[in-house]
Amino acid sequence: MTIVKPIQIEVANQVFEAWDHLGVAGRAECLEQAVFSLSHAQASMARWQIENAKHEIGEDLLMPGPTGESNTLSTHGRGAFLVAVQSSLSGDNLSVGLIGQVFAALIAGNPIITVGPEGQAIMDQMSKYVPEGIIQNVAESAQDSILDATDLAGVAIICDADRAKHLNKQLAQKSGLLCQLVEETNVQALTTIAAPHYILRFVTEQTVSNNTTAIGGNATLLELGSKAE
Amino acid sequence: MFNALEVLQPTILEQSLSQLWDRISPLYSVDEEQWLAELLKLAEPTDAQLKASTDAATHLIDQVRADGESMSMIDSLLLEYSLDTKEGILLMCLAEALMRVPDKETADAFIKDRLSVADWASHANNSDSFFVNASTWGLLLTGKVVSMDETKDGKPANLVNRMVNRMSEPVIRKAMNQAMKIMGHQFVLGRSINEALSRGKSYRDKGYTYSFDMLGEAALTAQDADKYLTSYMQAIESVGQDTYSKGYRPTISIKLSALHPRYEVGCEERVMTELFESVKELINKARSLNVGITIDAEEADRLELSLHLFEKLFRDDCTKGWDLFGLVVQAYSKRCLPVLNWLAALAKDVGDRIPLRLVKGAYWDSEIKLCQQRGLSGYPVYTRKEATDVSYLACAQFLLSRHAREWIFPQFASHNAHTIATIATIAENLGATTNEYEFQRLHGMGDALYNRLIKDKDVCVRIYAPVGSHKDLLPYLVRRLLENGANSSFVHRLVDARCPVSELVDHPVTTLKSRKTLRNPFINLPKDMFKDRKNSFGPNIEIEAEWKPFKASVDAFMGQSTQWTAMPIVGGENVSTTDVHAVNSPYDHALVAGQVHWANKEIVHQAIEQADAAYPAWSQTPANDRAACLVRMAELMEENYAELVALCHREAGKTIQDCIDEVREAVDFCHYYAQQARQNFAAPKTFTDFLGNTQQVQMTGRGVFACISPWNFPLAIFTGQVAAALVAGNSVVCKAAEQTSLIAFRAVQMLHEAGIPKDVLHFLPGNGATVGAPMTEHKAIAGLAFTGSTGTAQLINRTLANRGVAPVPVIAETGGQNAMLIDSTSLPEQVVRDAVRSAFASAGQRCSALRVMFVQADIADRVIPMIAGAMKEQSVGLPYLHSTDVGPVIDEKAQKMLLDHIEVMKKEGRLIAQSALPEWAEKGTYVAPTAFEISSIDQLKDEKFGPIMHVVRYKAKDLDKVIDTINNSGFGLTMGVHSRNETTCAHIAQRARVGNLYINRDQVGAVVGVQPFGGQGLSGTGPKAGGPHYLPRFAKEQLV
Repeated sequence: MTIVKPIQIEVANQVFEAWDHLGVAGRAECLEQAVFSLSHAQASMARWQIENAKHEIGEDLLMPGPTGESNTLSTHGRGAFLVAVQSSLSGDNLSVGLIGQVFAALIAGNPIITVGPEGQAIMDQMSKYVPEGIIQNVAESAQDSILDATDLAGVAIICDADRAKHLNKQLAQKSGLLCQLVEETNVQALTTIAAPHYILRFVTEQTVSNNTTAIGGNATLLELGSKAE
Repeated sequence: MFNALEVLQPTILEQSLSQLWDRISPLYSVDEEQWLAELLKLAEPTDAQLKASTDAATHLIDQVRADGESMSMIDSLLLEYSLDTKEGILLMCLAEALMRVPDKETADAFIKDRLSVADWASHANNSDSFFVNASTWGLLLTGKVVSMDETKDGKPANLVNRMVNRMSEPVIRKAMNQAMKIMGHQFVLGRSINEALSRGKSYRDKGYTYSFDMLGEAALTAQDADKYLTSYMQAIESVGQDTYSKGYRPTISIKLSALHPRYEVGCEERVMTELFESVKELINKARSLNVGITIDAEEADRLELSLHLFEKLFRDDCTKGWDLFGLVVQAYSKRCLPVLNWLAALAKDVGDRIPLRLVKGAYWDSEIKLCQQRGLSGYPVYTRKEATDVSYLACAQFLLSRHAREWIFPQFASHNAHTIATIATIAENLGATTNEYEFQRLHGMGDALYNRLIKDKDVCVRIYAPVGSHKDLLPYLVRRLLENGANSSFVHRLVDARCPVSELVDHPVTTLKSRKTLRNPFINLPKDMFKDRKNSFGPNIEIEAEWKPFKASVDAFMGQSTQWTAMPIVGGENVSTTDVHAVNSPYDHALVAGQVHWANKEIVHQAIEQADAAYPAWSQTPANDRAACLVRMAELMEENYAELVALCHREAGKTIQDCIDEVREAVDFCHYYAQQARQNFAAPKTFTDFLGNTQQVQMTGRGVFACISPWNFPLAIFTGQVAAALVAGNSVVCKAAEQTSLIAFRAVQMLHEAGIPKDVLHFLPGNGATVGAPMTEHKAIAGLAFTGSTGTAQLINRTLANRGVAPVPVIAETGGQNAMLIDSTSLPEQVVRDAVRSAFASAGQRCSALRVMFVQADIADRVIPMIAGAMKEQSVGLPYLHSTDVGPVIDEKAQKMLLDHIEVMKKEGRLIAQSALPEWAEKGTYVAPTAFEISSIDQLKDEKFGPIMHVVRYKAKDLDKVIDTINNSGFGLTMGVHSRNETTCAHIAQRARVGNLYINRDQVGAVVGVQPFGGQGLSGTGPKAGGPHYLPRFAKEQLV
């Protein structure tokens, strides 16, 4: 298979690291400004995704363990996400769902590539609040080239069941990393997008185990050893 | 447990040596409450004794304070930079590493990293000591300049400040190195014995004598051991020729771990021959010059081994009739008292007296931590400082008793005025004269105290003095000092006039008895380390009392008469087939562990259909009940520990510690996922949806989960996947790797026994074609957990996606191209130990194993030969032997792939070293641990799953480029970092796209619920196994 790397993926990969490093709080600051440019229904969804992310992945988790080492679990973006709505669908909630996808992908730390006129509208509304390259848009005709790119990290899409099956098959044919398909097939209720664990589909996790304090001089133990109850 | 008071009776030494020996090991991690209650009887003073020792201690302290003698050196440093202050710790960190950094850039960055966060100004002029002030001014100056460089948000400050910083860097570096030299000068008596003898003269004029030690890091290579041996020989020679005629003759202390690269229980044979010969050589030399030798005490795991070696030397003609061959025993060890009894009886048996230094112990931190990491039965040391003090006095009661001191010459090492006064009181009570014991103190510590004592009493005081280059010794001494914080606290309070004398003379028995519990309630036992679940247990194979019964229990399954048969289990029924495969042991293909009946498409589909039918009822089963099955499974695995270990040996070729870690991980998975399910699946959770409505969401199973696991963790990963899927409410069909189906079969039997319904869990042994394909083609599969190669994951994912059903979760844990980054602040000995373990333990067959080590060019010529030397010491052998470090690889296919890679690398890289294989290696599938130097990670196309390490040199300024090339490999599983510069560590952690990053330790052995494990990119999909986000991926969120 030929290795395809569209320019959008390259741009996304370039800006990804800095965006990810902002952390949930830093990204929330940017995205909260963008909320004001949205319709009321969209804004509710956007705010909910930001708040949900703060709740689910906002803080690094300090894991319990042996005295004298620290173990921290944090989450990061996965990389470039294609965010789209199946063009043949219609419904009131589509634009709300799309915003849900966009905000979940962004707040989790990913750069996104949106599609078509709906995508362009979002990009126009939001791009001034996020660093350049974090939101890109492609024409629908270019969507397949993005889908075929080897280092596309994931696809978030609102679609029907058939399209989901088809896309799943298409993504699985690729070599390279297993591209994540995050599909919402309940266009009316948005049961996937509006669920608390949805955000977890957009992240990867990192554990940092730091043993520096245990190289002699374990202050915690020193204290515990002579502590009186 | 024996009656401690018994040791006061002379009859104690009439017991046989073997009887006394047998009392030692069982006390390794004995219940602290019970044993301290015994020791208290021994240490408890009568009212009159208590008064006498209190008065003596009070008098001593009053006098010391009245002397007004300014404290010297380390005492004053510790007083100003107490180790409980940030500055104290930072100063010590700097002292630990700075002098070994060869390049300016790294040194400057390190200084900046350490100094910019502390408040040095508050220490200026607080001390009378020139030494402390010199250090402070250096630090203050530096700290100020450094702090100007960056504003709080990390953005560069204005140009002027940056200019100041740049201009000052060489000055600062020089000042800091000077400060460290001053420190080195204070910690170390002399760079050579002659310098030490000369510098020590003034103390000897006062009546002190010395024990010199060429301290430093443990030897990891034969060359380093030779180097240490030579320096000990030279030291003995110099001391022997010393003409100072007054007072007691100095002695030499030796550290056994410096004299042999493998001073450990697993290498007992080598210790008892090679190390024995080295020490004997030293003894012969020392005896000819009449220089006494003392063997230092080290970690608790080595205690019994050290006693074996001591006995052999003590019974040898080389020490017969000498009386100057002694050793050190640590009072913080629970085994201390029976060790002393045994040594006294040994001396009596041989007829020579043993000089014996009783210390409190300097490895307390690491002893505690290691036990927690290894899930051991308890701690070998007391968990309260006052308990160690009680033990010290209890042991002194024995050592000073008439029957003991006939055979032991006790040497009491302490810097605590109360301990010293109490020892003197006990000695008086027991009629011991001042020439029947001596005191010892560390060079640079306790001067004021002992200067007074030596004036008042005609008793020998020996100063234990490190000798050697500052660069080599300072790191070691500082680490010991940091670990042994007990030293600083007394010194601190002794000279602090605000601290009432009465507080300093509390008898430790009184203090300990005033506690609610004798053991420290703030330091939980390893099994209770986690609040909400039980920790898994591991026996300590370095300890006789634990190793012998453990080995016997495993041996019961090791004979060829024990054979296992695995077959498909469908609906709880064993289904035999005609497709039967023998399982040969990877270390000897002539040995058979059992047979596996492979499943076929029909059986696979039958199992999936049963699982599908069973799913609704199981998903309705309360999560707490499902969790209870996992807890029971954990218990069953611990009940069947020996069989599972034997299976890991015979089927997977795993070494002993690997087998233990394997069982522990499986047990931990069960406890952890059970706890997670109880927490998150038992009841619906409330949340507010995006429209502001309050909703309830319940996590439920998804249907039939397929679990496909690899051979490298045949029990742990297998059990982890299955347990997670089950407890989340799914029914499960599982396939183990075809190489390791026997242990998986046993695990499934145990899961059924633990209460998992038989129609919910089905076992399907076989290979990818017979089982994997029909399993993943089936439309009922609602999710997949897979661990294995990236290629297979893609293949399986494709099969699942081609079924024409809705997408299902695929949780894939795949390969890596794991790197370790080493900068020049790191400690080479620690780097080499961790790199060798990370690359070669488990024959490199861990997903997390180190493949490419990046070493900063400035230290590469030191580190690379050390790696080569350490690899020569690796023992490749039979996995069930304690002496084996590296076992076989899993099968011929793996072996061939690795050997081919070695051939390619021989052409494309530079061979650094290759460990030796045993002569009979061709009986099994062995690959010798091999290391190559290459120029770039790009020379490696894919993961080579085995004991092959690649080393790349990098320039400090290119660190970011190195991180980029690692990130660009697309893999992102583990990474190790060795650096003392926390800014560097944080920078790497932020930039490296890896799932698990390990700082200043090895990079293998992630612990469930502590270091959730899993990679990014080509290394896996996540979520991390053993982490809080794992179970949700096996479940659906349903509004209720």
